[in-house]
Amino acid sequence: MDNTIEKRIQSLRDRLTYMQDIFAGKHKDSADLLEERLSAFAERARSGSLNDPHAELSTVEDLFAYVERRLESGVTPMDRVRIVRHPQRICLRDILENVYDNFTEVGGQDEHSLDPSMIIARAVITRRRGKKSYTQSVMVIGQEKGHGAEFRNGGSVKPWGNAKALQYMRVAETEGIPIHAYIFTPGSFPLEDYPGAAQQIARNIYGMAGLRVPIVAVISEGGSGGAEAIGLADKRLMLSHGYYSVISPEGAAAIEGRIKAGQRATPELIEHCAENLHITAQDNLRFGYIDHIVQEPPLGARPWHFDFFRHLRQEVIRATDEVVISTRRLPVFRGLALSRHRNPEANLDELHIRWGLSAAAKSRLRERRQQKFLRLSRQAARDRRPFLTKTAAAFWDWLSKPWVSFKYDFYRKHQRQIRGFMEEMDNEWEMFKTRLFAPWRKLTRTLPSRTENKVRELTALSAWSDDSRRRKWNYLSPRYKIDRTLTCPNSASYGCLDLWGPDLFAEFAGVCSHCGYHFPMEPEWYVKNVFDPGSVFEFNSEIEAGNPLDFPGFAERIAEAQKKTGAKSGCMTFEARIDNIKMVVAMLMGTFRGGSVGAAEGYKFVEAAQRAAKKRYPFLAYVHGTAGIRIQEGTHGVIQMPRCTVAVRRYIESGGLYMVLYDTNSFAGPVASFLGCSPYQFAVRSSNIGFAGPGVIKETTGMDIPPKYHRSYRALSRGHIQGIWDRRQIRANLKQALLTIGGRNLYYR
Amino acid sequence: MIDISALLDEIKASPYREIVIATPHTGLVSFAGLKTGDKVLGPQGQWKEKPGTQIATLERERNPKPICAPEKGEISVLHSELEGRFVEAGTPLAVLRHMLTREEVQRAILQKALHLFRAPERAKYYFTPEVDKKIRASDAHSVAVRDGMELLIMSRMKREVPLHYTGPDGVIYAVYFKYNENMDTGAPLIGVCPQNQLPAIQDVIMRVQTEWREKE
Amino acid sequence: MGYAGGKGLNKAQDSKRKAARSAAAEITLSDHKVLVANRGEIAMRIMQACRKLGVAFTAIYTAEDAASGHVRLAREEGGEKSLFRVSSYHDANELMAVADEAGCTAVHPGYGFFAEDFRFARRVAKRDRKLIFIGPSWKIIRELGDKINTKRLARSLGVPTVPGSDRPIYDEMEAERIAKSVFEFQEQQGIQRPLVLVKASAGGGGMGIEEVYDPDQFRSVYRRIRNYAMRQFKDEGVLIEQRITDFNHLEVQIVSDRSGTNPVHFGTRNCSIQSTGLQKRIEVAPGFAPDELEYTFNAGRVLTDIVDYSLAMARKVGYDNVGTWEWIVTRKGEPFLMEVNTRIQVENGVSARISHVHGKPGVDLIAEQVRIGLGQPLGYSQADIATEGVGMEYRIIAEDPDNNFTPWVGRIERFQWKDQPWLTMLTHVPRDEAYEIPTEFDPNLALAIIWGKDLDEVKARGLDFLNNLRLEGRNGAGEPLKSNVEFLKANTGRILLF
Repeated sequence: MDNTIEKRIQSLRDRLTYMQDIFAGKHKDSADLLEERLSAFAERARSGSLNDPHAELSTVEDLFAYVERRLESGVTPMDRVRIVRHPQRICLRDILENVYDNFTEVGGQDEHSLDPSMIIARAVITRRRGKKSYTQSVMVIGQEKGHGAEFRNGGSVKPWGNAKALQYMRVAETEGIPIHAYIFTPGSFPLEDYPGAAQQIARNIYGMAGLRVPIVAVISEGGSGGAEAIGLADKRLMLSHGYYSVISPEGAAAIEGRIKAGQRATPELIEHCAENLHITAQDNLRFGYIDHIVQEPPLGARPWHFDFFRHLRQEVIRATDEVVISTRRLPVFRGLALSRHRNPEANLDELHIRWGLSAAAKSRLRERRQQKFLRLSRQAARDRRPFLTKTAAAFWDWLSKPWVSFKYDFYRKHQRQIRGFMEEMDNEWEMFKTRLFAPWRKLTRTLPSRTENKVRELTALSAWSDDSRRRKWNYLSPRYKIDRTLTCPNSASYGCLDLWGPDLFAEFAGVCSHCGYHFPMEPEWYVKNVFDPGSVFEFNSEIEAGNPLDFPGFAERIAEAQKKTGAKSGCMTFEARIDNIKMVVAMLMGTFRGGSVGAAEGYKFVEAAQRAAKKRYPFLAYVHGTAGIRIQEGTHGVIQMPRCTVAVRRYIESGGLYMVLYDTNSFAGPVASFLGCSPYQFAVRSSNIGFAGPGVIKETTGMDIPPKYHRSYRALSRGHIQGIWDRRQIRANLKQALLTIGGRNLYYR
Repeated sequence: MIDISALLDEIKASPYREIVIATPHTGLVSFAGLKTGDKVLGPQGQWKEKPGTQIATLERERNPKPICAPEKGEISVLHSELEGRFVEAGTPLAVLRHMLTREEVQRAILQKALHLFRAPERAKYYFTPEVDKKIRASDAHSVAVRDGMELLIMSRMKREVPLHYTGPDGVIYAVYFKYNENMDTGAPLIGVCPQNQLPAIQDVIMRVQTEWREKE
Repeated sequence: MGYAGGKGLNKAQDSKRKAARSAAAEITLSDHKVLVANRGEIAMRIMQACRKLGVAFTAIYTAEDAASGHVRLAREEGGEKSLFRVSSYHDANELMAVADEAGCTAVHPGYGFFAEDFRFARRVAKRDRKLIFIGPSWKIIRELGDKINTKRLARSLGVPTVPGSDRPIYDEMEAERIAKSVFEFQEQQGIQRPLVLVKASAGGGGMGIEEVYDPDQFRSVYRRIRNYAMRQFKDEGVLIEQRITDFNHLEVQIVSDRSGTNPVHFGTRNCSIQSTGLQKRIEVAPGFAPDELEYTFNAGRVLTDIVDYSLAMARKVGYDNVGTWEWIVTRKGEPFLMEVNTRIQVENGVSARISHVHGKPGVDLIAEQVRIGLGQPLGYSQADIATEGVGMEYRIIAEDPDNNFTPWVGRIERFQWKDQPWLTMLTHVPRDEAYEIPTEFDPNLALAIIWGKDLDEVKARGLDFLNNLRLEGRNGAGEPLKSNVEFLKANTGRILLF
């Protein structure tokens, strides 16, 4: 038998297996038909009974193509998940070889790499205009699944892999070349070793929010935090058969079905979750979280789909060009160029746009990127503010902006000179007074009443009215009313006696009086005991958590949480004072659906950061607890990671002091973005901080992790946080931190 | 050098230990439904993070506390007559017949091989705060001791006196006292392995690992 | 907490007084059962007091204390559910569980352990199944347990306190100014070597205290203490006071019923003979003997003053049980209030021994405490109380006075004395069998209270008692027992001398 025929048969066999795998038992009749035809053909080919094997083989191939096309319309979201995970799925190395004209890997080679699941390469694209050819460089960064090669770890990147990615993004920035990010990851590997999964992703997102080169991202498998680590791009393309989701459908099913460790969710539940999480390219395009879909061949692209690679090449070039063009200052040229590029007939290999940018264009690029992310997902939160309030707020905003900028940018600058002058004057006056009254003072010093005064000071009652006299809490946990005792979890190692609830939850502020263990307290405790009484002014409370994906049954659960906590979302934003130092606080409440972050929470957080920036107040993110991104909101939730980080970055760069304080369990997305990016992260002793909880780690990596793996002290030792505070000292420590880290006006710069 | 084989034979002759499970404090007892002859497990997991089989619940001041088996074994006595009764501190609830584990045998033999630093008086003993921190952070093996070093605090008659270690330099290999437990005069407090004897100690461990078989 | 709260307290007293008046008639002591939340000698005295009053009791003990006399007494004299073994005397949960199980209605904390723990008193009073705390109400314990608060209360009533600050100082400049004043003040008083004490205001028990003898040294000491206080207590506040070195230690015994309006006193005591660790070894009542000894000051006047001051404070806070006001008296005869002990004290018996009520001797202050604690009115006034003679108490302890009063541990094999009408022996050590001293507690063996019609007689009887005392034992190493008997003998001669 002809060698070519043999190869083509093998290739068809692979196509068949692929089809069977991705449909997981569905469409069995089609698969059986193809199998039968293929084996019949193979049988006859082997026996040599065919006249024109090539022609007959083409018929079989056509049949395959036909069936694939037919089945394409029935591809479910869960099938897509199986497609992107299939070893035959295209991977980043295929793209490097077929989309780019040449490349050099710079992030290690094969298994000899800091992290083989992250590939970094300098690649070139050569374009031709007339007889002239132009070679353009890009930095290609992305996860490598390696067709199932074990050492690639399925594209699950370890913290140092993400750190490597950030390092080379910076290199690209220095060199002024665009970045092409290819997202092929089910999620990051949840290790806490330095630099830490969550903390490193946060650094990456923060870094990308300000990167001064064009970034184009292409999503095949966009698994939550791992995807965001390289996903904050000017243009986000998505392969038509990919998925982009907050969590794997299996993970969602485990949470939805309240599956315990060791058990498995049913396939139906997983399918149900995949459906309702709205993870497909079409869904995400509709939400606005991606800009464009790159169409794949039926049932998804595989390495032999060379047409697809040509198409992909056109799309990434077009995306990069568009980003570059959009930074142009003159709208006329911008419009013309864009329309030329958007013409699907255009051969971009024959157009040339310089990818280098001027300094001003770089700034515009950054601003556009930041604004783009700030705009996203607003529609997914329920804004219950009445129309008039909203208009008034916008109007007031418009009015007060010039005043604020006058007050802080102009007046403050000149104020220093004014004050210097006043001080000089004052000194002179004091000197004058001293001389004037000198004779009088001499006289009084000799009078006997002075010593009597002294004796009286030492033996009579003095006046005392400062803060230290009042040592009562303004708020007590309602648990103090229950007459029962509690066992301190450290009692085995520290010998703590049982604590009496009414003491523990009132006077002791939930702290074991023997070993200092912190029992969790309610969010109200902090609001009322940390800040000056009566100084808390909440805003945007009308922005409510909703159910943007219409996830079945979730609206009721949100309503239930709202009823239980009396809050409308898991994020409370307010202005408050500590010893008259004003600040803006965004509090994630662990009592509201675990403190998970969805569109409403993100919206409020962004608004709070902007308010702090406008008012020039310090901005505190107090994390009473957060379980991560609210999975039932799907990508509406995930998008809060880059969004809020952009808001935080803008705040910090405008000169603000952004501090984070963790209290109880703080995990996953929020820590891996807008919390973890703060240079000043502190924790209360009771906190656990990390990327994924022990159950998830066991589930995704199969590793057992030691008890107390996420305790705040471990996080401190790993360098993730800057300090640990006693709950009873939060107020004092916050004040001190504000005064020492904050500048003159408690504003960073 | 010690005769490991002889020691092992001696232990093999009576490989069981009786463990009395008593109430740590007063309270109301309710048993977990076990009966005499039942097998129970000690703490499980790589870090012994999962507690052993629950024997009973002791409730005091509306705080029910599980009483769990400290080791693997078989229940030989169960004081089920105490069910639902208020008991004093230290009341026996059950007796376990426990076959010595490899670790316990190792401990017993090591106690003969290590340099033992003994309690000078009947008292409670604690590590000094610095040493305690170190041990809590990693484990006792990380603490190197020198002759004359301030290692322990001896607490009795409400007075706390620092106690200086005397003996060869080495690392702490075993700790024989527990928090808040009175140690009699002469009772070993810690077992120290001098650096040059580490191979010999490893040998003891190897021997026990290969020669001691734990039965189900 | 200031004594702005004093007003509130007074209001509370009003309603309490009314309630007390109506309830007093109905209080039947035999309806009550007292949990004796202590060990040793005091537990025995409380049980005996209960028996005298016809009140039932329940005692507790720990495994180490099984041989203590209080366990035997509870077994012999207690009724049903009168003895429980607990894991620790320090675990309030054990006490509450036992109280509920035994059906107790009240708790007597004795001294030490929970006696001055306002949280314990509060828990007892506020839990679902409420008990009576035999001691002052928890608010009073809290108010007088805070040294700064007590000092400020005293000053507000014109009661003399140690010169210095009466609130925590946080500002370095202010601290320096006060320290300078304290030095100058002492110089004016003619004190040769003035000393200033710097202490962490949140501290206690001798932690974070340092003396300054040189004003130039003050700043560095101040900073050291402030930093220590910050680390240890999370509070930078520092107190600055005169350090008084040459003084006698006196105290005033106060008794008041639940009405809190009519406190009486049972005279004064002098506790100046102490170990190097400042623990009392000999106590004498009354506090001075102006008729028999020469003092450089008007001793009788000092005694009346401190009694009056103490009563004034007790009235102000509405003190509602037994308590002791501790004073120091300088060589010039100036009294300064040190602190208030809101509990029955070890040495209460020495005051009771010399007291008569309605002309009758045999006062039992612990029985009085239980009785008024349970709500009975006191039933007599100051005019009904008289004293006669001199009382002296020896604390007999297994310790080595020559070696810094180090406790001695071992076995008591023989403990005998000659019974006398003028002698009261209080001990939990059995006389008929050997006794192992538990290592968890102070090795106090016994209290011997001796009465004499005057100072000379009490001294002579004291020495007579000590000479006839047989106290023998051996420790684990076979060495003979060490005790403070010789120390007591040597110091008997100087009692009440300044």
